[in-house]
Amino acid sequence: MSLGFDGLGAAYFDGDRPEPQEVSLHIASGMLQIGLDDGDTLRWPVGEVRQLPDHAGKTGVVLRRITDPVGRLYLTDKSVLEHLPHLTRRAPPKGRGRLVAWAVAAVAAVAFQIFVLVPLLADNLAGFIPPGGERALGEATFGQIREALDESGLSPLEICEGAEGTAALNALVGRLGGDRDFSQEVTISVLDHEMVNAFALPGGFVVLFRGLIEAANGPDEVAAVLAHEIGHVISADPTRHALRSAGSIGVLGLLFGDFAGGAVVLFLAERLIAAQYSQAAEIGADTFAHDVLAQAGINPGALSDMFENMRAKTGDVDGLVAHFLSHPSLGDRINAAQAEVEEDAVYTPSMMDADWAAVQTICD
Amino acid sequence: MSDTSIQTGPWAATPKMRSAAPVGPADDGTMRVDFTGRRGALFWLALKTGFFTILTLGFYRFWMKTRLRRWYWSAMRPGGHPMEYAGDPIEKLLGFFIAVVILTFYIGLVNLLLMFVSFSVFNSSVIGYLASFAGVIPLWFYARYRARRYVLARTRWRGVRFGLEKGAWGYAWRALWYWFCTIVTLGILWPRMTFLLEKYKTDRMFFGSARLYQGGRWPMLYRATLPFVFSLIALGASIAWVFYIDPVFDGDAITATQLIKELDDAMNGSWSSFDLLGPERLLLIPITLSGLLFGAIYYRWVSKRIMANHKLGPGVQFASALSGVRVTFIYVLGNFIAYLTLVLGLVSLVLLALVVFVGGDMVLADDIWGRNYLADLPRWISVVVFAVLYLTFFLLWGVLYNTFVTFPLMRHMARTTTLPVTEGLGLISQRDRDDFAEAEGFAEALDLGAAI
Repeated sequence: MSLGFDGLGAAYFDGDRPEPQEVSLHIASGMLQIGLDDGDTLRWPVGEVRQLPDHAGKTGVVLRRITDPVGRLYLTDKSVLEHLPHLTRRAPPKGRGRLVAWAVAAVAAVAFQIFVLVPLLADNLAGFIPPGGERALGEATFGQIREALDESGLSPLEICEGAEGTAALNALVGRLGGDRDFSQEVTISVLDHEMVNAFALPGGFVVLFRGLIEAANGPDEVAAVLAHEIGHVISADPTRHALRSAGSIGVLGLLFGDFAGGAVVLFLAERLIAAQYSQAAEIGADTFAHDVLAQAGINPGALSDMFENMRAKTGDVDGLVAHFLSHPSLGDRINAAQAEVEEDAVYTPSMMDADWAAVQTICD
Repeated sequence: MSDTSIQTGPWAATPKMRSAAPVGPADDGTMRVDFTGRRGALFWLALKTGFFTILTLGFYRFWMKTRLRRWYWSAMRPGGHPMEYAGDPIEKLLGFFIAVVILTFYIGLVNLLLMFVSFSVFNSSVIGYLASFAGVIPLWFYARYRARRYVLARTRWRGVRFGLEKGAWGYAWRALWYWFCTIVTLGILWPRMTFLLEKYKTDRMFFGSARLYQGGRWPMLYRATLPFVFSLIALGASIAWVFYIDPVFDGDAITATQLIKELDDAMNGSWSSFDLLGPERLLLIPITLSGLLFGAIYYRWVSKRIMANHKLGPGVQFASALSGVRVTFIYVLGNFIAYLTLVLGLVSLVLLALVVFVGGDMVLADDIWGRNYLADLPRWISVVVFAVLYLTFFLLWGVLYNTFVTFPLMRHMARTTTLPVTEGLGLISQRDRDDFAEAEGFAEALDLGAAI
């Protein structure tokens, strides 16, 4: 049995010349028979005919045979289609191995870059940045953070400058330093924001938020946080971190297709606030804090008091607690801090009541 | 299939245009370009593929782009026969991976070292950012040419492939040089850049065995700059008139900072500080600025038209009757509709965020039991809802842009293009497939493949 179809407006393209050839169309014995003007007839097994997908418009469809990559049949009589069973069947996948290989290579390259190469370079280069450069980096970042945190959109977030409070904090830094004078390396600032957080920036900037001072149960907890952040400053963690961000943000932007966007700068500032130092760096800063606190005669257990106090107060993963909770060893760190507490040692509060009151009102 | 090219350029002799062929009825041998797709069908295709893209965290975008191109290509029908886009999403994905492997090292390490040098030597990050940006510019031009080569290699008409010769680095350094010339001449040589870059691409372009040729000379593009130049002059004159010759703001030469301060005061309700002389003249500024925008769009598209009218193949000639005014209209209206949706979406998003995060009490009335269901949802659910809405909103933006800007633009371009001379088609034969491992991977990774 042979079925004939309307060949008017239909055209066959042989895949060599861009000239339409008029056709007559039949389906007989499982073959789509395409009769050409020169007398030749092409026989396409109906099971091997495919339709080009996502075709626009209602007029016309384009068919091809799976064995011919370039020959095309343009049809206007769509009643042919119901006789062609596999119009939308996909070609068997080819080159999947190659795809998987490159996918693995891409993931490996990005991972290697972000977790090995960039940190390695950043760690080594951080030591070579001259103090002036580090200072400039810190100042620039501090400015960006103050602007990013400002909610009114007019001026950067205020720095609290109560004279007595500032003096008390500087005295605390001096006391923590003992023989080593930190005051040359560390600049301490308080930002007028309710976030319970603190961070260190390149160039020795240590920044406390008002929220942290308000949430603290006493001056010792603030001293413990301060000691921890000074630990980061001393081991140049923020500088490494800034270099790392510069290297890895571009790479991440590549993956998401937003390279060289203005968002990068802001993202960098944000990353520095939510600074996720490596676990080793955190533990290093903790150990540093224990030593410094013990030397200054301040209870090293204050660090663990502070963690627990925050957790009890917010009762949620928020602010500073979240910052520390992202490291699985919080319990270990609390224990480590408590282990430093010696039973028979005599600890003195980190500052006088009057000074503590001044620090608490530094933003007023 | 023959591998011999009938025009293996460089051209023996510069081909001559026929005397300007008027766009006449189809029976004089002029081939027209139809455009058959319906806007609604495109809307659904864009919506569907965009939705999948979000579901797959962006990986479907290679399929989305392929399917949209297939649709647009098949809608354009020179001589009634649809174009075909034969690109494969898998090869795009592969190309993207290849580009990521190559570019991570370049971008990661180069950025890190630039930052280091910038801080060590210049005490500032600005130089580092500038250098890192400048370092990507040649790559950007390179990627653009490669992307064009890929798209042309996957474009067919009547079963015959288009193609573009290799030459991406040549394009990149030429683009840099022409940009440099344009900048040092304050834009006077811009048409030269437009023309020479287009000529570079056109002269390397093939349809089957036939090489195309960009005729004409670059000064012919100055015609297209007229609206822009007039607007620029008008803007300059308006500024001079309103601020210097006969200042709107009272008396003495007012500096910018003073002006801002006074405007601030005015916002606060104290108008007393200055008298305005004919403040309605200030309207000249936005009017001339709009003129500038119109001039820019007009130049971009009318220069395309002028150059299309000077494109030749062996026995093939193109003509375009594209209207710069119409294209501007499409841009303005299409963007207006898309932005309107964007703003409405944003407003509802902000309202919802208020409900979710501040607590619904202030915005939504509680039910009779005094509860508010939205506010009672666990926090993570509200975050998920918020994220989904955020993504939806970007999805819709892309869909609307396709529907109201890209679609009418393509349609207008197709319908205004004709081929007054087509005798040469019979002599053209197929060209070999251009295997192209990295597809448009570089363009994709550098985020400049966004255009169809």
